[in-house]
Amino acid sequence: MDLQKAMRVSASGMAAQSTRMRVIAENLANADSLGETPGAEPFRRKTVSFRNVLDRQIGADTVRTSRIDTDKSALPRRYEPNHPAADGEGYVLSPNVNNLIEAMDMRQAQRSYDANINVIETSKSMISRTIDLLRG
Amino acid sequence: MDITKLPLFGMISRRMDWLSQRQTVLSQNVANSDTPNYQPRDLKALDFRAELRGQMSRLAPATTSQSHLASRTISGPNRDEKQRPTETTLSGNSVQLDTEMIKVADTAVDYQLTTNIYRRQLAMLRTAIGRTQ
Repeated sequence: MDLQKAMRVSASGMAAQSTRMRVIAENLANADSLGETPGAEPFRRKTVSFRNVLDRQIGADTVRTSRIDTDKSALPRRYEPNHPAADGEGYVLSPNVNNLIEAMDMRQAQRSYDANINVIETSKSMISRTIDLLRG
Repeated sequence: MDITKLPLFGMISRRMDWLSQRQTVLSQNVANSDTPNYQPRDLKALDFRAELRGQMSRLAPATTSQSHLASRTISGPNRDEKQRPTETTLSGNSVQLDTEMIKVADTAVDYQLTTNIYRRQLAMLRTAIGRTQ
């Protein structure tokens, strides 16, 4: 049935958005995870990308998270000579996580999640209207 | 008697079919609202006039010989139509959530209308039979 299909598609969207949320949470939690030895890499920001996949069983385009990559942008250096991970000149590599970017990303994920919930609720009300027809 | 053979019931069920298919297409658009390079789609609008003609002219020519041309089928499947994008993000996605939400709400309202018409029509039939609720 088409309406159940619609709900399945929306559910896939919600799953994809929650994976994205999880990655954002990882990034934020590790915003201060530095290396432990001199010259060691700190935490690198992770990014999620989406892909649309034709679900053959229901014959509709669902969403999947295709892969989780790391952000290749340069790691900012911080002058902190007393840190164990400081190099010869006293600089420590810090994670390339920007709190503002993560917050924006989180907002967007939430907005998309809400939109999917909205569609599910509408589909549900359409299904219950169909069932109501049986009552005459 | 098959109730779907009545023109109005036939049209109602066609309409409900179309609306639920549209709901699926819209849910795809919403679910893919962050997928790179995704273009939103919509169904071709149901043509009321063509539907009416299809329902009213029940006399289809029969092909009694192989040299006859096949009679045209009235309505084909509802094709997906790509929409003209109005706003595209850097990742090549042109789904606008607000527009999609309006369409979802529209579909729900139309569905409600259609089911109500169905009920009314059924009630009228009951009245005609002479059994009032």
